Amino acid sequence: MPRLALKSLWARKVRALTTTLAVFIGVALVAGSYILTDTIDAAFGDIFSESLKGTDVVITSKDIVEQDSGETPDFSARLLGPVKRVPGVALASGAIFTPGGFFDEQNDAIGAKFAPKFIASVLPGRLESLTYVDGGPPKTASEATIDKAAADDAGLQIGDRLKISGERRVKSYRLVGLTELGNASFGGASIAQLTLPEAQRETGKVGRFDQISVAAAPGVTPRELQARIKRVVPDSVRVETGQENADRQTSDIKDNLSFFTIALLVFAGVALFVGAFLIFNTFSITIAQRVREFGLLRTLGASRPQILGSVIAEALIIGVVGSLAGLAGGIGFAKGIGALFDAIGFGLPSTAAVIATRTVIVSIAVGVLVTLVSSLMPALRSTRVPPMAALRELEEPRSRRRVAVYAGLAALLSIGGLALVLYGLFGGLSSGDGAKLLGLGAVCVILGVSLFSSRLVRPLASLGGWPLERLRGLTGRLARENTQRKPARTAATAAALMIGLALVTFVAVFAAGIKGSIASAIDRNFQGELVLQNTDGFSPIPRAAAPAARKVPGVGTVSSLRTSQAQVIGDGKEKISGLDPRTAPDVLSLDWQKGSPDTLRRLRDDQTIVDQAFADSNGVDVGDRLRLLGQAGRRGSYRIVGEVKDTADLLGSAVITQRAMARNLDQTDDTFAFVKLAPGADPAAVQGRLKTMADRLFTTVDVLNQQELKDNQEKQIDTLLNLIYALLSLAVITSLFGIANTLALSIHERTRELGMLRAIGMSRRQVRAMIRYEAVITALIGAALGLVLGVIFAALISRPLADEGFTLSYPVGTLALLVVLAGLAGVLAAIAPARRASRLDVLEALAYE
Amino acid sequence: MEQATVPDPGQPQEIVVATDLSRRFGEGDAAVDALRDVTVSFERGRFSAIMGPSGSGKSTLMHILAGLDRPTAGSVVLDGTEITGLDDGDLTKLRRDKLGFIFQFFNLIPVLTAEENIVLPLSIAGRKPDPEWLDGLIRTVGLDDRRTHRPNELSGGQQQRVAVARALVSKPAVVFADEPTGNLDSKASADVLRLLRHAVDDFGQTVVMVTHDPEAAAVGDRLVALRDGRLVHDAAPGSAEEVIELTKQLA
Repeated sequence: MPRLALKSLWARKVRALTTTLAVFIGVALVAGSYILTDTIDAAFGDIFSESLKGTDVVITSKDIVEQDSGETPDFSARLLGPVKRVPGVALASGAIFTPGGFFDEQNDAIGAKFAPKFIASVLPGRLESLTYVDGGPPKTASEATIDKAAADDAGLQIGDRLKISGERRVKSYRLVGLTELGNASFGGASIAQLTLPEAQRETGKVGRFDQISVAAAPGVTPRELQARIKRVVPDSVRVETGQENADRQTSDIKDNLSFFTIALLVFAGVALFVGAFLIFNTFSITIAQRVREFGLLRTLGASRPQILGSVIAEALIIGVVGSLAGLAGGIGFAKGIGALFDAIGFGLPSTAAVIATRTVIVSIAVGVLVTLVSSLMPALRSTRVPPMAALRELEEPRSRRRVAVYAGLAALLSIGGLALVLYGLFGGLSSGDGAKLLGLGAVCVILGVSLFSSRLVRPLASLGGWPLERLRGLTGRLARENTQRKPARTAATAAALMIGLALVTFVAVFAAGIKGSIASAIDRNFQGELVLQNTDGFSPIPRAAAPAARKVPGVGTVSSLRTSQAQVIGDGKEKISGLDPRTAPDVLSLDWQKGSPDTLRRLRDDQTIVDQAFADSNGVDVGDRLRLLGQAGRRGSYRIVGEVKDTADLLGSAVITQRAMARNLDQTDDTFAFVKLAPGADPAAVQGRLKTMADRLFTTVDVLNQQELKDNQEKQIDTLLNLIYALLSLAVITSLFGIANTLALSIHERTRELGMLRAIGMSRRQVRAMIRYEAVITALIGAALGLVLGVIFAALISRPLADEGFTLSYPVGTLALLVVLAGLAGVLAAIAPARRASRLDVLEALAYE
Repeated sequence: MEQATVPDPGQPQEIVVATDLSRRFGEGDAAVDALRDVTVSFERGRFSAIMGPSGSGKSTLMHILAGLDRPTAGSVVLDGTEITGLDDGDLTKLRRDKLGFIFQFFNLIPVLTAEENIVLPLSIAGRKPDPEWLDGLIRTVGLDDRRTHRPNELSGGQQQRVAVARALVSKPAVVFADEPTGNLDSKASADVLRLLRHAVDDFGQTVVMVTHDPEAAAVGDRLVALRDGRLVHDAAPGSAEEVIELTKQLA
């Protein structure tokens, strides 16, 4: 029997190949997700261990509440003296390691757009981990180095000018060295080095350090030294051995990346799910076509388990081969996804591909399991073939009971899935559990709809085929009829495309909603005409930028918004904003639920204004106290004096004064600076002047008017959107293989019919057109179902957000484009089967049974 | 009933002329000569039958005459056109516009109604049937009350009558029938043969039929017999008994 499995696979090479490809794509995505993130992990591990090679003990500030930006607070340089005096310290130095921006002389940014750029200080002796490929360390306040990769990328050489933007005005340095960090790759990230005093000045950290690095004297272990240093420094700093520090940072990165891994795995899951449909469908059709063969085997005495075994063996071979190939392909996929991220500006660091044992096991297990499970039902059907089937074609009748069971199952899955989705959304679960239920519910709904959709095939095919019939006559007519011949088959084929399109639609509708909500929030909230923000859209702007903007002629008020993550004592981490009460009401118009603009104007340092959604979910109200723990561990208590509805999550959960934020949350960086013009000033002229100022002094700052701000936000969403589309496209490609497979198998069944059509005068072109239209109609059925499902999902999932001002909007143009693209995808899928069909030898086809 | 193509004295009487046809399948030792130097022609407005034992080359001859297969050597002139050198596109057009086909296994499109199957050759060409002619044809084949039925709702005989109507609908120069009664009971066979005879007699249709059924051959005006790829007999068929006698001689 295993030989039979191999032989029957070989006899249907093309079908076996496409089925294997479906497994391959899904598994390659699974493996690729793991390989990519494992490789990034390893690359960061390299970076951290390399950068701490000569360092035995590291002193950093404790970040009690981790910031989304990943930055840790600085601390006073006065700590260095006592540390230096600790016995066993051979060498100790303060260090700066702070994000900044690098530009060439033409103000073109160096390094990947969204990858971090760090301003670092030179360290003495063996504490310095960077090595100089060319030149040497900076010795004066006007010299700098940069890593070789960034220099090569930007075409910089020793002696060229490098502009660095920190917290002060951008400054031009002479490039005196090109650096490397062992063999570690930074990806798109970059490091520029300045002398320590210059680094402190540039980053606004005069008298402060981000870190103190310590080397131990001979004979003193890092552990001993760590214990001794701990005794002389305050509790607010963390003293670690170099190894501990590297391990902690690596594991922090790992934690952050785990979200990324999960996100990628979700897309892999989608592709596998679609692949499962293809496998199920292909096996169903081929088993239906092999009824005679199975009948013959039964006549010759093969038992049911033997028949089942041979089909399962076929599935197993496909699963194993597809999974192994997928594992190998995963390396390529990892590179591809990495390149995708590079292309949109997240240069991820990389090293030799890391293939963990877990990757191998999970990939192969998942691939084989998916193949086996999806072929199980068709395989079981093969065992029901009676020996009589060998003698004559027995069209397996679909018993009434089976039909009823299917209908019941479809209803159960759809309704149950919907219930799960709703419970996930409104059940008050944690967001993680909610998302899991949501996902499970969506899978159930999709399965339910696909089971039910065989009943929708007739009307939908008539609808989709109508224009083709009208325009193309007979070929359109036959194509439409052919899709309706075996509705279950067409439905399963279309369902695969439906999944991809439902997700694309969901994402498109949701993104349109977010864009619309942001745009309307900008319209409503921003009183100011202009906004200063970082060119990357999320990092803070230099501290000196807002004060400089104030001096530009035509500028009336400049008021900034600062953000920090703080721990609500007794509850979770929240985003907190800091505003300047005197000026903020001039530039921001808030949606007051309790209180008025005067509440903000009179806001004291021990008071706060909270977001309505936060107040509701935490059960707090005006008059209550909100206790916050800042990033460096300082506590503050604030009386709630007002409540606003914060639609676009501009403010986060609570607003406090900037003075309180500086004191208790250690945050003084401006995220945005809003500009209100002086009465009578010309907006365009003032914007021009601000832009000139920014170009000259603050290269990391964009000056945007309201429309540009909206466009900017949209562009950021679009970037993410395109990334999601790119990942979903793999699921769509898999479903195209499904259409091609179904077509090829159906054509095979209709060989004699095609021979007759050719004999009585149908041209090859007409045959191709007929099959193409069949694929288009199938694709359109999938598109229609997917569109409806996607819109329903988007409408449901956005329900809880409606309170926060999320309004759904339907990107009709995009959705129409999706339908057109689905049709084109059908054309694409039909190319190979159509060509095969048109090249049938007429005589052979006529003689075919 | 419309009177179709009456033999025009200005036109040559031969509508299909095959000269020195040879067809070899395979190569080397395994080569089989299905036809060896066969020269034969068929006249307009006549019902000719081709007979011969299995492997005699009768089907191959018909396939080549109908432009479905190419000879290894020789020429076929069909209604004034030399067809052996035509490419697939021209052959397809020729089949569509000048030929009608009837097969042993009906070969209807299951998703189309009887009427749609009948007009299929016209639909493929993007033409509309003349409604009067179509009505008459459907009545002639006795399917007036079956127009909207699909093939699986029709008996074998009815299905083959649909196929006959389909072959006649475009008033082709020649109708080729490949064992048209091979899959029918005697009553249905008689119906189909009667229809073909009627088409020849009343519409002036040319029919060339391959068969091994003596009853069928006896309905024709002329009987051509092949054996081992050579033409061995060409005469009026006479009665069914005479045909059976001939078959015995051939075998």
